[in-house]
Amino acid sequence: MNDLVYFLFITVLVSMIINTAIALYGVFTKPSLVKKFIALTIFSDSINSFAILIGFRRTPLGYSSIAVMPSLPQSPEDLKNFINTAVDPLPQALVLTAIVIGLAVNMFLVGLIILFHRHYGTTSVKRVRI
Amino acid sequence: MIELLPAIMAFGVALVSIIATWLAVQERDLLLAILFSALQSTCYALIYYLFMAPDIVLVYLPVSVGILPLITILLVKKTERYEE
Repeated sequence: MNDLVYFLFITVLVSMIINTAIALYGVFTKPSLVKKFIALTIFSDSINSFAILIGFRRTPLGYSSIAVMPSLPQSPEDLKNFINTAVDPLPQALVLTAIVIGLAVNMFLVGLIILFHRHYGTTSVKRVRI
Repeated sequence: MIELLPAIMAFGVALVSIIATWLAVQERDLLLAILFSALQSTCYALIYYLFMAPDIVLVYLPVSVGILPLITILLVKKTERYEE
C-alpha cells in the first residue's frame, strides 16, 4: 500500500518533468510567437508546481494537513503533532508571489507580440523580413 | 482504500495534464491550443488542491484559467489565428 502511494506521487513528479520538457520544446522549436507564449506559460506553471511538490510531505501518520492551525495548541504535544503533519507553507507563499509577478510579465509579453505584429505584419519569426 | 484516493486522483490528473500540454504545443489552430492550455491549468489547480495548497488554487484558477486565456484569445484576434 505504501509503495503504491509512493509510486503514484513519483509519477506526478515525473509528469511535471515531462511537462517542463514539452514546454521547453515548444518555446525553442515553434516559429509562432503566440505558440511560444503559450508554451512559456505552461513552463512557468510546471516550475511552480515543482515548488509546491517540494513543500508537500508524505508523513508516516497519514496524509499531510494544511499548514493552518485551527486553534491555539493546548499542549506541546499538539504543537509537535502539527509540525510533524503539516505541509511546508514557505514554497506556497513564494509560488503565490510568482504567479502574480508572472501574470504581469505575461501582459508585457502580449503587448510586445502585438507591437511585433504591427511592425512586421506577422507573428512567425521565420517570415520576418527586415 | 480511502487514503489511496488523493494519490490516484493526482496520478490521473497528471497524465491528463501531459496530454493537454502535448496537444497545446502541437496544435496548429491557436484557439484550440489556448483551450488545451486552459485544460492543463485546470489539471494543475486540482493537483495544487490535492497537495494541500488551497490558497494557491484560489489565486491560480482566476489567473490561469480566466485572465490568461482571455488575454491570449484577444491577442489571437488581433494577430493571426493559424500557425503556419
